[in-house]
Formats: sequence, structure tokens, C-alpha cells
Amino acid sequence: MILTLALGLPMLGAAVLAGSSRWDARQARWLAAGVASLSLLLLVIAWIGFDPAGPRFQHVDELRWVPSLGVAWRVGVDGIALTVATMSALLFVATIVYPPDSRGEPRQDLVQYYAWLLFLQSVSLGVFLALDLLLFYVFFDLSLVGMFFLIGRWGHGQPQIAALKFFLYTFAGSLLLLLAIIGLYLSLDTPSFDMRVLIERQPLAGSGLYAGLVFLALMLGFAIKTPLVPLHTWLPQAHVDAPGPVSAILAGVLLKMGSYGMIRLPLAMMPETFARYAPVVAIVALVAIVYGALVALGQGNLKRRIAYTSINHMGYTVLGIAVAAAFADNVAARQLALTGATVEMVAHGLITGALFLICGSFWQRTGDYDFGHYGGLARQAPLLTGFSVLAMFASLGMPALAGFVAEFQIFAGTFAIYPWLAVLGVVGILITAALFLDMLRRLFFGRLPAHLGEFPDLGRSEWGVLTVLALAIVVIGVAPQFLLAPIEAAASALVGGR
Amino acid sequence: MLWSIPLLPLLLAPLLYWRRRRAGRTALAAGAALILLIDLVLAGLALAGLGRLGGWSDGAFSVYRWSDTLVLTLGRSTASDVFMVMVPLVALPIALFATWHDVALRDDRRTADAAGSRLLALLVAFVGAMQLLVLANDLLTLLIAWELVGACSWALISHKWGEAAVGRDAAQAFLVTRSGDLGLYIAAAAVFAGTGGFGYADLAALDGPLLQVAVAGIVLAAAAKSAQLPFSAWLFAAMSGPVPVSALLHAATMVAVGLYLLVRLEPTLSTVTWFMPTVIGIGLVTALAAGVVGTFQGHAKKLLAASTSAQYGLMWVAVGAGFPGVALLHFIAHAFMKAGLFLSAGLAEHQSGSYRLDGMRLGRCLPGVAATTLILSLALAGMIPLGAAWTKEQIVSAAGVHGTWLALLAALAGGLSALYATRFQRLAYGRGERRGKSRSSGAVRPSQAELGALRLLAAGTLGLSVLWWPAANRAVSDWLAMQRPPGHLWMLLVSLALVLLGIVAGIVMTRQGRPAEPVGWRRPVADWFGLPALTLSVAANVTRLSGVLARFDNDVVDAGLRGTARIGQRLARLNATRGEALSEGVPGGFSYLAERGGHWARRAQSGQAHHYYAAIAAGLVIVLAILMIGVQP
Repeated sequence: MILTLALGLPMLGAAVLAGSSRWDARQARWLAAGVASLSLLLLVIAWIGFDPAGPRFQHVDELRWVPSLGVAWRVGVDGIALTVATMSALLFVATIVYPPDSRGEPRQDLVQYYAWLLFLQSVSLGVFLALDLLLFYVFFDLSLVGMFFLIGRWGHGQPQIAALKFFLYTFAGSLLLLLAIIGLYLSLDTPSFDMRVLIERQPLAGSGLYAGLVFLALMLGFAIKTPLVPLHTWLPQAHVDAPGPVSAILAGVLLKMGSYGMIRLPLAMMPETFARYAPVVAIVALVAIVYGALVALGQGNLKRRIAYTSINHMGYTVLGIAVAAAFADNVAARQLALTGATVEMVAHGLITGALFLICGSFWQRTGDYDFGHYGGLARQAPLLTGFSVLAMFASLGMPALAGFVAEFQIFAGTFAIYPWLAVLGVVGILITAALFLDMLRRLFFGRLPAHLGEFPDLGRSEWGVLTVLALAIVVIGVAPQFLLAPIEAAASALVGGR
Repeated sequence: MLWSIPLLPLLLAPLLYWRRRRAGRTALAAGAALILLIDLVLAGLALAGLGRLGGWSDGAFSVYRWSDTLVLTLGRSTASDVFMVMVPLVALPIALFATWHDVALRDDRRTADAAGSRLLALLVAFVGAMQLLVLANDLLTLLIAWELVGACSWALISHKWGEAAVGRDAAQAFLVTRSGDLGLYIAAAAVFAGTGGFGYADLAALDGPLLQVAVAGIVLAAAAKSAQLPFSAWLFAAMSGPVPVSALLHAATMVAVGLYLLVRLEPTLSTVTWFMPTVIGIGLVTALAAGVVGTFQGHAKKLLAASTSAQYGLMWVAVGAGFPGVALLHFIAHAFMKAGLFLSAGLAEHQSGSYRLDGMRLGRCLPGVAATTLILSLALAGMIPLGAAWTKEQIVSAAGVHGTWLALLAALAGGLSALYATRFQRLAYGRGERRGKSRSSGAVRPSQAELGALRLLAAGTLGLSVLWWPAANRAVSDWLAMQRPPGHLWMLLVSLALVLLGIVAGIVMTRQGRPAEPVGWRRPVADWFGLPALTLSVAANVTRLSGVLARFDNDVVDAGLRGTARIGQRLARLNATRGEALSEGVPGGFSYLAERGGHWARRAQSGQAHHYYAAIAAGLVIVLAILMIGVQP
């Protein structure tokens, strides 16, 4: 029941907010924050109650829905789903509490903003918690709807165009996904959308072309969402025009649906086919790593630069997944890579979430993302500087922070399977270091331009939220045991279970 | 409980920063000194093995598990013993010096400002990261500490972040050293691929190509941190940091870790055949080239920076030759003298207003400092009877084991260090023509704390002279369990002759009236043979490439998407015009045909018999024809 509640409560909250016009923005914010925190609390309880040595899927709820089609309300978690979902819930709380991008103007429609955020939280958790393919697909698509309205209504620049581009592009990916899901569904003797049945029966094992096509459709669908080069161009524009907190959700939660989907569907349900194409996927991931980092370095816009580092980091994740899928005897290395990939999802969610929230603070104060116009803010805004330094060093893979734990495992695992890809991929962390140090220098060091004389430091709710995220980043970097235990359990079931 | 040695400074350092609102200089210095002293005591306890009773070392306490695969372990070795004591020992006077030299006071003239307390907190944290590095017993822990050390130096170098060039220099130092760190990532991965673990023991168990990869990665990482060729340029960039930072970086931390790693893992590394020639080659070339750079350099700190590369080059030669113990001893001697020399350069800068050696000659104005610095300079020159001379001669002997010409080249590098040490001493603290001429107005006399720190380091340098006493050097060799290279009297004499020659050349080069700034062809030589420019051009090219890729991404990759959208739109428009016409036209055409058919059928009913007969006849013919076709086969 606990998972159903965790994803049902935010939906209920959204309905309450949307259904009445009596709320003002402040009340709406606190109600939304309360509901989101409750959902987070439920997931934390689920985490505490999760036994890494126990069955693969735990906290399972199953409710009859359309038995003739094999559709049911099925939710449950393994270690990977649990950690990613909890991270997402935390990020939603952070986003709701963080001040929205209003540029100081009072806006009447913020109640709907919080309603949409709660709606998005509910469906996002649904993607990670669903154990039914059709349910998974429905949530996957509904998340687009939520994001479409959040960007389109509360964005800046050309929000409607960005939202449309985002929606259409990723929706095209979902259509491929739908085809593949139907393909998977029809391949069973007694058709069912139950993921556990599909994972257990492996219906497409050994069925050449058909399996290849289903795999291709699945991977294309997820690659658009992740996104992998060259299917990534919807991302920068969506980020730049989205409000800061929504960007945090887009990068922190929505991108994870792609990589999580790769683990949950192709890796779990058709490992044989994945193994055949693993080298191709790994090479594409490597391209994303290097290309994403280089293009990020070439950006002069704060938000675009961070957006492109997401492509680089998601490249690490996919590399880890591809290595886990590879056809090789070194189970320990593949498991390490998959664990690393999952930790990267969590770490990237927290770190890039924090970075985009910081971007929101910049926009809130100046309405300008061009970091050529900044400089010397270290004295003017020491708190902002401190959190930016921490988040950026975490993003460039500094040890004792979350990113390192992920990237180290991915590299170590990859080297054992594809040594050359690891050697080339490790260059990515050098370029990321260059681009973040460059950005730090240009934002915070040097002389303070005259027009920034009134630049205020972080407000209470801003540094409060960032403190929580920073704490999570440091704890994962220093004592990741609590995170690694459930993930490793799931990873060993996925990699060793063939 | 080995963990307390790195964790104590790391965890207490933030307190130094947060308590700053109440703390004046004395309190700040006392706090930093207390942390470093406790750390020193802890290290001493671990060294004495006293803690063994309570599970202090080597026990289960030194293991910290992240997961079954990722295990962080600490352990002691000879190299870690030496470093674990040296790092806080050298950091202590440096921290004292920094409190009076670099910490500014707030407007109330009593409490230290934020930048100053941050500097001290970072210095202390740096010591903690170093302790973690030298106590690491596996490549994962090592890598963690290795990168933390890099981050600490970035933060310390960018201390004066308000100046335009500082951020760029700090980034350059971080990036050049991190490019070497990639080697360590690969090395750790190679060890894991071969053995499934990350421990130093696993590294030793490795063989075949994976061992080669691991060793190559380790040497790469060590060369970058140790500022060996081709990575030497970052040390010049690092000169943007304040003087105590340079002193700590060069004497005992950042630059020293490359050497530490080689010494620590030497037994495994040297099993690879190319290790010895590569390391000797890199070390010797760096020592000679950096010696030439120091000979012409006109910036006090950069001269010392070049000498750091050169001295570590000599230590590399010792490790490559198979005498890591000798390298360790030279490291100790170098740590004292180099830290002292940097502090002394800082004092000179406060008097003359810049680091240009041209405008110094402070001998008359600071006679005490000049005399103290003379001890340090003589040590750098390798002059008998200072300890640094003994360790340098050991390195020359070590090189001699592998060929006389190697020994001669090492001795030549020693001669060059005598030359630049003499230059430094004479230009910075020589006796100027007239009293007070070179002193910038308003310069304050150095405080007692600054002088005390300098004297402590000089005392350490002087104390090491005891190494020339056979009983003492035998005891040290035994304690370090080190092999001693066989020495030859003639080699010692040649080496000393080169030192004297260097000193004479240095005196000649610095006669009154001769410019200290390099001119003509000497200018690029003094600037590391153009290496910093080369490093920057690599960075510039990568930046340019990234700019091109960014435009490519925007114009070409995204064009695919925009093109698809445009095709979709055009298709829609086509449908709206032609497509609609077609779908209207097809059903319309059918109904038209049906109508025509109806008309025609009506006309067939004419009511005239001959029409009907003709039709029946035609029908019969058709029926017969069909039948015949059916019968034929």
C-alpha cells in the first residue's frame, strides 16, 4: 500500500489545488510542499523496510483492472527503482520549496504551478514504481503532459516553442516505445503486461529479427528521453526556456526515465538481444560523453552549459548500462558498472538539480544567463558561491562527493569489459573539470561589474533547499553504503541472473 | 585508528573558518598550530607503534567498507611514515608565517578577515588530505586523496580571486595535474580488471599487459603532480597563490605526492622493464632543463618553482635507479629548505613590492633574514656540510650505479642548482649599493612570527647536517631499511667541483649592474622553453574545437530536427490541398462512373429485336470462346 500512497497523495494534492479557487500562492506552496514531503517520507519508510537480501521486488501492490488484457494496477520496487524514486521525491520537495521564477512580479497562477508540479511528481514516481508495462507507458506519457504545461506557461524566452519541441520530440520517442511494448506483450503465450512475468519468461530470447526490432524501438524511445547524441537537441532549448526549478525536475527526474527504462525493459526483459548490441550502445554512449562535454564547453550561456553537461553525465549512465549488458564473463565488473550507472542517476539528479536551482536564482536576480556579464560575485554573494562551488565540483567528479562514487565504478567496470572505451571516456571528466572551473571563474572571480552592485545573496528558502541537497551529495560521497546495498542487490539480480 | 590522522585536520579545518568572527591572529594561529601539533602527535604515536595495543594501526580499524568491492583501507609503510611526520612538521611554521604574512585584519583591527581565515582553514585541510594520501593502502583511497589534494591547491591558488589572472592560473594548475590523474583512474581500473580489487597488494599480484597499463597510469599521474616534463608548466601558473601556499605545495604536499607514489609502489613498479629507464630519463631531463630555466629566471618565485621541478627530477632519478630511500631523504632535506626559501621570498616581496629579482638586494636592510636565507640557499646549492648536500651526493652515486655518465649528468644538474641558488641569494639578499635604496616606502619590518617560522625551517636544514656523520647516516638508513648506493671519492670530488663552479658562475652572473631579467634568447628559455605557452595553446585549441562543435550542434544536428518538422509541415500542407483533392476525387469519380454505367445500361433496353439478337449472338461467341480456352489444355 505504501507505494500506491506515495504516488497517489501528490495526485490527490494536485486535484485539491486545481479544484478550488480559494487558494492563494503561499498556501498552495505550503500545501504542495507538505504533500510532496509526505510522499518522500513514505518512500523513505519503504527504503527502511526494504531488505536487500529479500525478494527482487518488494512492497508490491496488485489490483485487478482489465484482466482480459492482462492489465492491472501493479506497483513494486527493486533497489534501483527505490533509490531513483526516492531521489526524485526529494528533488520534487526541493523544487516546490524553492522560489519559482517570477522575476519579482506577483503572479496569480502560481496555484496551478504547484498543482502541475504535484501532478508531475505523481506520474514521475509512477514511472519508477510501476510493475505493469501499460501503466509504465501511461505514466511515461503523462509526464510529458505535466512538463509541457510547466515549461509553456511558466517559462521565459520562447517557452511555448520550447515546450512544443520538447513534447513532440519526446512523444515521437514514446510512440516507438508503445510499439515495442505491444511487441513484447504479443510475444507472450498468454499475453500480460506484468513486468515480472516478462522478466521471468524472457519471451524474446533467441527470436532474431523480431527481437532486434523490438529492441531498436525500445532503445530509440529511451535514447530520446535520456537523451543520447544525436537525439538530444530538444534538451538545451527546453532547459533554457524553462523556469529554474522546472529545469531541475527535467534534468533530475525526467531524463532518468530514459536510463531507468533501459534498465527495466531491455536489460531485464531481453538481455540476450541487448548483449548483441551492447558494443554499439556503448560507443554511442561514449560519443555522448565526449561530445556532450565538448559542446558544453563551447556554450556561453549558463543554463545551456549545464544542460549539455547532463548529456555528458547521462552518457556515463548509459555506458554503465551497456557494459552491464555486455556478453562477458566478468560478472563482477558488469555489476560494478550497473551499480555505478544507478548511482550516477541518483547523483546526477541531486547535483544537476542543485545546479539548475542555482540557475533559477541567477535568473530571478538578473534575468540573464550569459556568464560573460557576470564576475566577482564571490564577495557579494558568498553563500551562492559556496553552493555553486560544491555543486560544480560534485559534477566534475570530485571525490568525497556523490558524482565520484558513480563515475569511478562506471570507469572501473567499463575498463574490464571495453578497455578502450574507458580510456577514451575518462577524458570526459577532464573536459567537465575545465568547463566548470571556467564557469566558476567567470561567475564568481575577478572584478565585480557595476550593474551587479545590488546583487542579493541567497534567501532563506534558497539556501535551506540547497543545504539539504548539498548534504545529500556529501553523504553519498562519503558514506554511500546505504545507497549501494539496495542497488547492488538489484544489479546482481540483473547481471548475474541470466 | 589510523583514520584519526587524516580526519582530524579535515574535520577541524572548517571550525577555523567558522570561528573567525571572534578570532584574532593569535587565536587563529593557535588554533591551526594546535590542530597540526595534535596531528603530529598522532602520527608520532602511530610511528612509535604505541597504539598497536589498542588496535591503533594495521588492525581492522583501518578498513572502511563502502561495499564488497569498494573498500577504503589505510596502512603504513616506510614512505608513509616519513611523509606522515614531515607534512604537519613543515606545515606548522608555514601556518604561523601565513597568519602574520597573509591574514589581513578587519576594520576593527582585531579579528581576522574572511579570506585570511579561509586560507588557514584550507592549509589545515590540505594537510588532512595529504595524510589520507600517504596512508592510503589501495588505489581507490589514493585516488580520493589525490583529487582532494588537487582541489585544495586549486582553492589555495585562487586565494586572491579578485585578480583577473588568478582564476585562470588556478584552473590551469588543476587541469594540468588532473590530466595526469586520469592515469590513476585507468591504473585503478586495470587493477580491478585483473584482480577484482583495488588494493596495493592486488596491484602487486597483477601481471602481463594490465600491469603495464597500471604502471603507465601511475607514472603519468606522478609526473603531472611532480611537475616533471612535459607537465612542468603548471608550477609557474601556481605561483599566483600566496607565498605560504607555494611553500606548502612545493615542500611537502602537491608536488611531493608524485614522488611519494613512486617511492611507495617502487617494488611493484620496478618489475616492469621500461620503468627504470623512463623514470631516470624523465627525472634527469627535467632536472637539467629546469636547472637552465632557474639559471635565467628573473622572478623570485618562478626561479624557486623551476628549482622544485629540478630537485624532484633528481629524486626521480634516485627512484628510477632503484634507491627510493635516497629519494626520501632528499625529500626531507628539500622540504625544509624549499619551504624556507619560499617564505624568505615572501619577506623580500613585502619589502621590495614585487617578486622581480631585479629590484631586491635586501642584504643591508634585512641582514638577519639574509643570513638565515644563506643557510637555505647553500643547502639548495648542495654545499657541504649541509644535509641536502649529502642526500644529493647519494643521488649522484645512485645514478652512478647505472653508468658513470648518468652520475655526471646528475652532478651537472647539481651544479646548475648551485648556480641558481647563488643567483637567488645574491639578487634577493645581496648587499645593495646604498642602504635603503631598494626598500619601498612604507614596508613594514617582518614580524617575529614570520622570522621565527623562517628560522625554524633553517634550523631543520642545519640540523640535517648530521647526515654527514657516518654513525648518523647509518642509523637513518637502518631506520628507513634503505639500500645505500656505493659511493666513489672521485665522483664526490667532481660533484663538489661542479657545485663550486656553479657558485662562481652565479656570482659572476649577479655582479652589480648586470640585469637579472632575462633578455633576448634567454627570455623563452627562462619561461620554461615556452612550455606554458604550449600548454595554453592546447587549452585554447580545445576551447576552439568546443566552439566549433557547439555551432555544429546548433546548426547541423538540430537542423535534422527542424528539417523533420518542416517536412511534416509541408506534408500536411500537401495533404490539405492535393491530398484532400484526391480523397474527394476518388469517391467522386466512382459515383460518376456508376452514373455513366447506369445511363449506358438504360440505353441497351431499346425494344428492337435485332439489337437483342445481335447481343445474344455476341454472348454466345464469348461463351464458346471461354469454353474453348477451358478445353484446350
